[in-house]
Amino acid sequence: MNFEFSADDEQFRQEVRDYLQSRVPEELRRRVYIKYNPPLREDLRYMLGALAEKGWSAPGLPIEYGGTDWSPLRKHIFLEEMYRIDALESAWGGLHMLAPVLVAFGSEAQKARFLPPTLNGEIYWCQGFSEPNAGSDLARLRTRAVLDGDHYVVNGQKIWTSDASIADWGFFLVRTDPDVKPQAGISFLLIKMDTPGVTVRPIPTIDGSSAALNEVFLDDVRVPKDQLVGEAGKGWTYAKYLLEKERTASAFLYYNKRELAKLKDIARSEQIDGVALIETPEFAARIADVEADMHALEWSVLRVLANEDNKYNLNAVISALKLRGSSMQQRVTQLYMDAMGRRALRCFPDHQDIAADDPFWPHYVPGRANTYFEWRASTIYGGTQEVQKNIIAKLQFGL
Amino acid sequence: MDFDLSDEQQMLRDSAERYLRDNYNFETFRAIANEENAISESQWQAMAEMGWLLVELPEALGGLGCSFLETAVLVEELGRAMVLEPVMSTAVIGAHMLLQAGTPQQQALLGDLAAGKLRLALACEEAGGRYSLDADLVTRAEAVDGGYQLDGHKTVVLDAPSAHKLIVSASVGGELGLFLVDSDAEGVMLSSYPLINSARASDISFSGTRLDSSALLCAGAEATALLQEVCDRAVLAQAAMSLGAMEKVLDVCAEYLQTRQQFGQPIGKFQALQHRMSEMFVEVQASRSALYHGLAHIGAAAPERSVAMSQVKVTVAKAAHFVGAQGIQLHGGIGLTEEYPIGHYFRYFTFLEKSYGDRDYHLRNIAKSYRAAH
Repeated sequence: MNFEFSADDEQFRQEVRDYLQSRVPEELRRRVYIKYNPPLREDLRYMLGALAEKGWSAPGLPIEYGGTDWSPLRKHIFLEEMYRIDALESAWGGLHMLAPVLVAFGSEAQKARFLPPTLNGEIYWCQGFSEPNAGSDLARLRTRAVLDGDHYVVNGQKIWTSDASIADWGFFLVRTDPDVKPQAGISFLLIKMDTPGVTVRPIPTIDGSSAALNEVFLDDVRVPKDQLVGEAGKGWTYAKYLLEKERTASAFLYYNKRELAKLKDIARSEQIDGVALIETPEFAARIADVEADMHALEWSVLRVLANEDNKYNLNAVISALKLRGSSMQQRVTQLYMDAMGRRALRCFPDHQDIAADDPFWPHYVPGRANTYFEWRASTIYGGTQEVQKNIIAKLQFGL
Repeated sequence: MDFDLSDEQQMLRDSAERYLRDNYNFETFRAIANEENAISESQWQAMAEMGWLLVELPEALGGLGCSFLETAVLVEELGRAMVLEPVMSTAVIGAHMLLQAGTPQQQALLGDLAAGKLRLALACEEAGGRYSLDADLVTRAEAVDGGYQLDGHKTVVLDAPSAHKLIVSASVGGELGLFLVDSDAEGVMLSSYPLINSARASDISFSGTRLDSSALLCAGAEATALLQEVCDRAVLAQAAMSLGAMEKVLDVCAEYLQTRQQFGQPIGKFQALQHRMSEMFVEVQASRSALYHGLAHIGAAAPERSVAMSQVKVTVAKAAHFVGAQGIQLHGGIGLTEEYPIGHYFRYFTFLEKSYGDRDYHLRNIAKSYRAAH
């Protein structure tokens, strides 16, 4: 048993830290701090450009596709440093989900066409999976794609599609065969969002975002058949593959640690009767409780990244990680709402900020309530708490 | 970074697990719990023969020369079987204190200790304190006739009834001192009682107990630091024991849900109970991670080390309470009986939480570090 990072890895950490410090401007960090949701396209392009200069824009991809040769622990260190400094983590859907699928299952033409512009921010992707009637029960999705000559004709509707309003392209799960077992009739299709018949309708959400989540209506959308990834009917397999590529991501460890750091800043600044909140016994105990569990969460992630030989079922362990990480998101944000007290009341819709020298509103307030409300979804997306518990019960205990 | 056991650690784990599975089942536990000092001398000798008391002793002294990592591997198995014998007090705490601060004469005792002939118990808590290690001590050692006279009182001294010698914290010359005292020395009076997990403890009064000058282990900053260090070791060891016990509870419950039938089916068919098992599973995973956080920091400098151990306790004690309580809940009425193991595990977790600082104590300890950082 060895609990240390190697000297090389620590040196790598310093290299990342120094580079990000020198390249990530304050204004961009501020926009990340107050949580632009969705982020600005120009910020994404800027970040991806800055990272691409070091070959760091797609850590999860193989080197020959513009990725890195980093071990899982190096990727962990990189993400820690990105979040620490409020750098904008690269576009999630495109880089972390679609790109690995293209690398594994896409044609060479698709890789050549889509990977470079995805890596440099020219193409921004949304993920069209969930439907009004297919959320937890995703396999029952109904969006239909029928082959007509050289095109698939797509009809249906997607919902909760993150960032569809700013996306150039989407990767969609569609039903190409209604006559087989549900999972076996699903295909993975790439659709350009300005194709005739594609309509995006933003869904304003309680976190103050007017367009973070969206509905996507597909009415007789003609999609060239060379935009099918891999084989028809294998979409479910590819979707599972992309989820398995990012096993520890669902713990939201780096977000969690960053929000905890924000909490401590707030608790050092807010006072009760002249005493900083973090020095009052009650609040200090609440922070200590969350912080202790945060350390455990971090080691849980490291255990998976280091390929621990766990006596328990790995898929059950991953579900446990998601359960723990998502409830942590809610605990941390609850605490900082409580730390802000009355200041938590003000609404800052859609990117609204305060002046740097505002006499009444500290810099940490904007974005906190939004994140608190947004993260009521953390226990819902990516498999609800209840579904994760079903998975553990079945895979670990055979129940 | 590597979380897998080395071959040696695996062997230690496997042999301990096998021995306890074959020789320390629940019936054995109950029988030993009813023994006079909750100790079986034959079990103790067997444990000594297996080397369980010399894991961290240097090879030069006949030990295995291992680190706390190996201790943690071993004590996890002790926790799984709720072993009552005082491996913690004698080896994890006592032997370590002799090793770190003992005079050559005191260190010579380690041979007997490793052979199972000498048991130790740490007597550091007093009635007025609340887990505090260095508050004003009532127990005092006055320099007298080239030695000391010990007067005072200690409470809830774990494993004292079966101990041959006590390590006693006392105020000496205005400082904290640690003394090695024969438990049957004149003036030493033990009032012994069972604890809620069937372990044994004593309230101990010292009235004019004469000590040779060689009884002093260390004093001042060294003693304060050593006391904090062994309590940190104890907290981490207990976290490992908790983990072993929690995993056992999971196993027992998993089996029960498959065999117990109500409403015409195994109760494991009911989603509410399935979800309870899953929630317990999550706590167990987090607890092992917390243990690793502790193992990663057991060698750190004192303030950082102590905060990390407190963090381990905060996570694991909460998890263990939940797992233990739900262990009873899933069993219904029989979970409350003496003759079934599951209720005993809950009592074990309760005992673990309240020893070496309860959860609140450790939350306060972490909170102190926030003030220091300010």
